Amino acid sequence: MSERPWSPTADATWRRCRALVRLASTIVSRDRRAAWRAEWLAELYSRVLALDHAGVLSASARRDLVVRTLGAFPHALWVRQSEWRLDMLMQDLTFAARVNWKRPAFSLLVIITLGIGVGANSAMFSIVNAVLIRPLPFPHSEQLVYAFGAFKGGDQAAISPPDYLDYRAQTHVLSSFAGRTPFGTAVLSSGDDPERVTAPRVTANFFSTLGVRPLYGRTFLLEEEEGDHKVVMLSYGIWQRRFAADTRVVGTTTSIDGEPYTIVGVMPDVMGQIFPDQLWLAMPFHTAESSVRRFHMLRGIGRLRDGATLAQAQAELDGIARRLEATYAEDASWRVRLVPYHDIVVGGSGPVLLLLLGAVGLVLLVACGNVASLMLARATSRQSEIAVRTALGASRAQVVRQLLTESILLGGAAGVFGLLLAVALVRAVHAVGGNLLPRMSEIRVDGIAVAFTMMVAVLTGIVFGLAPALHAARQDVAATLRSVGGGRATGAKHALRLRDALVVGQVALSLVLLVGAGLLLRSLWLAQRVEPGFDPRGVLSAQISLPMDGFRSHDAIERFWAVFLERVRAIPGVERAAATTMLPLVGGGDTYYYVDGHPPASDADKRTAQVNVSTDDYFATMRIPIVEGRALGAEDRSLGNDSLGHGTVVISRDMAERLFPRGGAVGSRLVVDVGKPLHAEIVGIAGDVHAFGQDVQAPDILYLSIHQISSFHNGRIMSLAVRGSREGMQLAAPIRKALRGLVSGVPLANLASMDQLLRTSLATSAFRSRLLAAFAVVALLLAVVGLYGVLAYTVTQRTREIGVRIALGARAREVLTLVVTRGMRLVTVGIVLGLLGATAAVRLLQGMLFQVSTLDPLVFALVVALLVLGGLAASLIPARRATRISPMAALREE
Amino acid sequence: MTARPLSPAAVAVLQAVAAGVRHGFDIMDSAGLPSGTVYPILGRLERAGFVRSRWESPTVAQREKRPPRRYYEISATGLHALALSVEHYRTIGRGGRGTPGVAPKPQRS
Repeated sequence: MSERPWSPTADATWRRCRALVRLASTIVSRDRRAAWRAEWLAELYSRVLALDHAGVLSASARRDLVVRTLGAFPHALWVRQSEWRLDMLMQDLTFAARVNWKRPAFSLLVIITLGIGVGANSAMFSIVNAVLIRPLPFPHSEQLVYAFGAFKGGDQAAISPPDYLDYRAQTHVLSSFAGRTPFGTAVLSSGDDPERVTAPRVTANFFSTLGVRPLYGRTFLLEEEEGDHKVVMLSYGIWQRRFAADTRVVGTTTSIDGEPYTIVGVMPDVMGQIFPDQLWLAMPFHTAESSVRRFHMLRGIGRLRDGATLAQAQAELDGIARRLEATYAEDASWRVRLVPYHDIVVGGSGPVLLLLLGAVGLVLLVACGNVASLMLARATSRQSEIAVRTALGASRAQVVRQLLTESILLGGAAGVFGLLLAVALVRAVHAVGGNLLPRMSEIRVDGIAVAFTMMVAVLTGIVFGLAPALHAARQDVAATLRSVGGGRATGAKHALRLRDALVVGQVALSLVLLVGAGLLLRSLWLAQRVEPGFDPRGVLSAQISLPMDGFRSHDAIERFWAVFLERVRAIPGVERAAATTMLPLVGGGDTYYYVDGHPPASDADKRTAQVNVSTDDYFATMRIPIVEGRALGAEDRSLGNDSLGHGTVVISRDMAERLFPRGGAVGSRLVVDVGKPLHAEIVGIAGDVHAFGQDVQAPDILYLSIHQISSFHNGRIMSLAVRGSREGMQLAAPIRKALRGLVSGVPLANLASMDQLLRTSLATSAFRSRLLAAFAVVALLLAVVGLYGVLAYTVTQRTREIGVRIALGARAREVLTLVVTRGMRLVTVGIVLGLLGATAAVRLLQGMLFQVSTLDPLVFALVVALLVLGGLAASLIPARRATRISPMAALREE
Repeated sequence: MTARPLSPAAVAVLQAVAAGVRHGFDIMDSAGLPSGTVYPILGRLERAGFVRSRWESPTVAQREKRPPRRYYEISATGLHALALSVEHYRTIGRGGRGTPGVAPKPQRS
């Protein structure tokens, strides 16, 4: 086709299309390319020729032709992918499987190492996903906001019922605003086994605000907020457990706190994720305490109108708060603070979980370091094999594809192993974790976690297999083949440098993790050593709450405790028994007080302290020392009549020293708000008690005797503390019998030994410290194995050199030093880098540490020592092997 | 292979080939489908044995002063598969019970 048989326009079109086809043809594999191109070009040529000869090669015809030519690209891609057919993939896979099978140690090491890294990540990801990422189980849960009462003295208070009603009536930005008492329990006695369960009071719109419909029956009606309606709703769990999941339960009555209540509805299981096992009672707005603006008892849950923001709602509520402030003196400085509801549910677990996720990510990095190191070593040792295959005509692409298939296969196997590990770990977290994390019940290895795991594993396989693969493919075939048998393949040196760098990185990362774990463990250890201020050993605790019926007067209540405690003390094995409203680690409640004669100038200057109302034997039972004055006793009856409000008080030591820095606390007087002012003479000073846990500062406590209090703290709900010589739980049955002998239908709730409560109070920090420590130990082991691998490989590589040295008279010590020095050089560089990283990383731990500085020298020194020891251990085995190299054998290898 | 009816696009391509349209570009014109669709279909049909492809003889090409073109012919199995698929789509068209992806039962009256 030397002469052009067509017009210049046709020629231009032909050239353009031909260029496109040629470009597309590069996609097609080489052996099919010529035929593929010939077909396209022949079709194009014929078409251009025909159109040109017919004189219809218009602009639109030319455009159509170009468009049609562009179809060559999808066609070429299709040809390419159809070549990559299953049989070829299978061939690659079987070969890869065979290669991996033939080196079981190598493959297992990679699978286990990577599997551990990936599995731990997957488990951690499942936890983070369930707790932090997954939305709350309510429709449009992003619209839900939580409302605290806020005033000068704090921004996590509650809202008074009358204020709540005003907010509810006036808000427009919130499409719905519900209220709920943050505490509240009730005794449910369906059948003959009374049980104390969580039973908050909720407003009628509580469930509709959350967007949850009842499973059976209905929710509360607006009119049930008024008047004394005895109606109750059941959670799914209670319904299952206590009512045998009977659908006919709606409309029947059950006994709550000894009174008949009508069950109006059962809520679905989904509520249980946020509100486990509980009852809901209707919030009454007609009672005396519900009509006082000073009495803050509700927390709000609101739903933002579509498109509204939290800031808009906050601004609107602030406006309402200002109007309330102007109208009611009690509302001075009070407002409502909104927080996304998700944040409330997640609570403080966010930073801890993210920290652990970061830590486990570092573990994966260390694991990847090992995998990469192993892959590099293998690629180096397989250079000869690859060179032979290349020489026999395998293309570079084929070699890379083969190596990649091997890596992906390994990654996939590691992913499966990691997944099994993750499932086991999540099970363990469920078994051990209890209620340490919010939304625990939602934690599971779900589809996203499976996808996450497999993706991480396979990607790791690809990334850490690719570098060695490319490295191997780029080598000089001739040079490698020439050196075959010499055991000194080219590129080995380069690969070794890379592996050195990996070891340094691993040591550095392990150090960061170890320092973090060390700091947390040390602060846990210090917290555990804090004297709680009482003696928990041998003390059994339980809650008892008396019904209104028969216990309306303070005298009746006081009499009950006197008789009951006497009977408990009569039980063989019981040494002492007391009752209190504020048992350490169980509960608390504060009130206002001031030093007599020094009333606070304004509301903002009011001081608060915890109130502990207890029976006479309390200090002796708990073994709380009286450091000055005397303990409370039978003589602390109300002086005069109640209206005068004179009495006695024992205060905690720290508080006494702060209030009376010059001494003289005993004998001074305080005015304590117990619903009305109580003028109390300080008769004693008690040792400080870490009532909220060993890692929390001991609070100020006002101890009052049950004999003199009848208003706020009437003693109807108390904690029982029994000190016995027998194994704690053995006492439970006789105590329960003593209780039943005095009053029926009252459960002995929340039985627990004080020892156990003390341990539980540190459970969260123990959980995170131990988890982080476990991660750090895994990282350390991986790093040690990595170092060992590199050194063992070096010794093998340098067999000849070492043999020559020994032949020339080098002593075992010198050979040993040679290898160990090399190992410790890597460790030292890693430690230096790790220390730099750790000083930056420990800042994340601030706020989680107890009496430990983030740069605690002891922890840092111990960690460095640990790494040095690990490094020595990893170096010594290959070093000893090096000393045993026989010079003759080494030289024969040449 | 014969158990499943061909896709509508494949039927269009196979119909064109059965009607004697031999070359790639002409099949596209006849079937009214773009090149990026027609060629992969032809590849699949060929692999399934429904069409055969050959290169025309260089003498013919030389006479027409162009490179030799590849041409496609329908096979006996291809004709059979075409008939089944056409029958299948006709059943659907009549509002019959034919379901996509399921071969219709031969209905002989």
